[in-house]
Amino acid sequence: MRQIQFVIASVLLLMIAGCEPFAKSYADTSVPKMYEAGNVSNFDYVGEPIKVITWNIRFGAGRLEWIIDSCGEMALADYDSVEIIMQRIADTLNVIDADIVLLQEVDIESKRSGFMDQVQFLLDNTNLNYGAYAPMMEVDFVFSDGLGRINTGNAILSKYELTEAERIKLSLRTDQSTLVQYGYARRNIIKAKIPDLVQAGKDFYAVNIHATAFATDKTKEKHIERYLEELSSISDNGNMFVSGGDLNSVPTGSTIDFCANDMCSNDEIDYTIEGHEEHREGSYFGNFDSEPNILDPLYNLYQPAIDIELRNLSEHFTHAPSTSISSDGSLTKYDRKLDYLFTNKVWKPASGKTHQSAWHLSDHMPVSGIVQLDVE
Amino acid sequence: MHKSRNLILWFFVFSFCLGDMQNWRSHSANILPQKRWEVGLFQPFRYGYSETLEYSAYPLWFFIMPNVTFKKSHENFSGYNVATRWSLFYPTPILNMASKKGIGGFIDPTFEIPPMIGFSLSLIMTKPMFGSEITLNSGIDIGLTFGDLDARSNIELPLLYHRLSVFHNSYGLHTGLDIENSITKKLSTLVDVDFSILPGMDSKETDSGISKILGEYSLEHKFLLIYEKSKRFRILTGYKFVFGEYPFGPESRLLPFLPLVDSWIPMIELQWGRSLR
Repeated sequence: MRQIQFVIASVLLLMIAGCEPFAKSYADTSVPKMYEAGNVSNFDYVGEPIKVITWNIRFGAGRLEWIIDSCGEMALADYDSVEIIMQRIADTLNVIDADIVLLQEVDIESKRSGFMDQVQFLLDNTNLNYGAYAPMMEVDFVFSDGLGRINTGNAILSKYELTEAERIKLSLRTDQSTLVQYGYARRNIIKAKIPDLVQAGKDFYAVNIHATAFATDKTKEKHIERYLEELSSISDNGNMFVSGGDLNSVPTGSTIDFCANDMCSNDEIDYTIEGHEEHREGSYFGNFDSEPNILDPLYNLYQPAIDIELRNLSEHFTHAPSTSISSDGSLTKYDRKLDYLFTNKVWKPASGKTHQSAWHLSDHMPVSGIVQLDVE
Repeated sequence: MHKSRNLILWFFVFSFCLGDMQNWRSHSANILPQKRWEVGLFQPFRYGYSETLEYSAYPLWFFIMPNVTFKKSHENFSGYNVATRWSLFYPTPILNMASKKGIGGFIDPTFEIPPMIGFSLSLIMTKPMFGSEITLNSGIDIGLTFGDLDARSNIELPLLYHRLSVFHNSYGLHTGLDIENSITKKLSTLVDVDFSILPGMDSKETDSGISKILGEYSLEHKFLLIYEKSKRFRILTGYKFVFGEYPFGPESRLLPFLPLVDSWIPMIELQWGRSLR
């Protein structure tokens, strides 16, 4: 009898261990993976302003002509190059010396980036101590383009301890087949409290988002609405936040059609023709009526790190696909703004910077700012 | 054309997952009787060429992955039936088919798989013990590549990864135990455990001792319930469990596993056999 019980228990154990879903999905809110640097250096907060940066680091692939988003043929980065680029990203973060870092497209276990845990790598190679990671795509094996295993997502890194971290689920796209959606990105907002930065009983939160890039339906609107809801709930409770990320949206007044800029030589449609009816996924920002102005509520309610008057200047552009070509044949390093920082506190005047010199480390450029917690 | 190519690839992967369902006869040191043939939905065609030699091949895969296996019986040793199994396969065409853009692309489309030959040799010993048929096997797997094989061109899936890794590591070692039990005249069970190692593969600089020796390893366990309707037809069902070390760490998986519904389903295999007069 005991032998039978042992066999049944063993079989059940095997079934549980071996039946993890192939592509992970998530509850409305879940707990992110928490990290700590190999060597934690103590920072005592003494009331100085806080430097914040947001950066979509593109899994350390730099300007790789990647098969998914930049007319390329390659699915996998060269692993030695990923290590070199990740080290340069760490060096850049050390030079900027931010207290809080909001990252998007960070890989922790992906074949395309050599299965490197990039959150741990950055913590071990910068002066940042703590991390929280929320997966956007956690798939055992992507049966497409040779991508294989992917675990990529958003992360918050900080000099100060992070607590009560939360992964907040965002809506899935509705313009995809079930099969494609099964292994596709599950976008999220990651939020964490930083107890060391509490001011006069007000809690301090870091909030990081990577909104949908390629949706042609109203998914982006839902993502921004959910993001606003989250920020409002912090503000309405009398607390403070610094927030940002890759919103995959252009500011009001920006060009909205980048189809010709992003066109690949093998595209079936000639997007350079004036008034082309179909648009490239991810290159057009007018898929629904309110999309060109989708960020207005953020600008109306909160303080942007890059002033509203400056947001459409080329010196604050943060993105261009790796293979975008200028009219003179040279590489377009940046031609639109997709990355933002906001706070419900006050930015130090003129502290907002777009670090375009880092254009070669990703197809997005970091944006930083210094927030003054003691100024109302 | 694309659809048929995808279909072939998926059939290949599916049959690979189910392809370890051989009954005790193919696992054991016993040779098929002369002129008897057997074939299954996902199993190789096996033929008893003589009283001491059996050969087998996967006919459906043959044009995309030429393969052949010989099993030769030898003199008994300490009451054990003894045989050696010699396998040869050429995976280059199927892997180049899997190196493609879009759905069904298992390998980066920019990689070209060079000519490669896989060779496997096993010593198999079978003996009736404790009312069961016990089979022990051990052997070596060798992967010969004739050109540059990109380290990233492996497929990190259970069963596939450790078999293909032989080409990245040049060699691997395997050992296993099979226990076959008759429940009734027509019903029997097969339980097996197979362990394979790729010594030195992907071991870190900090690894030492047993970790370095084992390299990347896999432990496979299978349970099959076999109903032998007659000498000409049998049905098999059961599961396979794989635990292994991959470049991203250890992982276990119960097979067959259907990704879209995220569920294990029992494997079902039909096998036919007959003797030529």
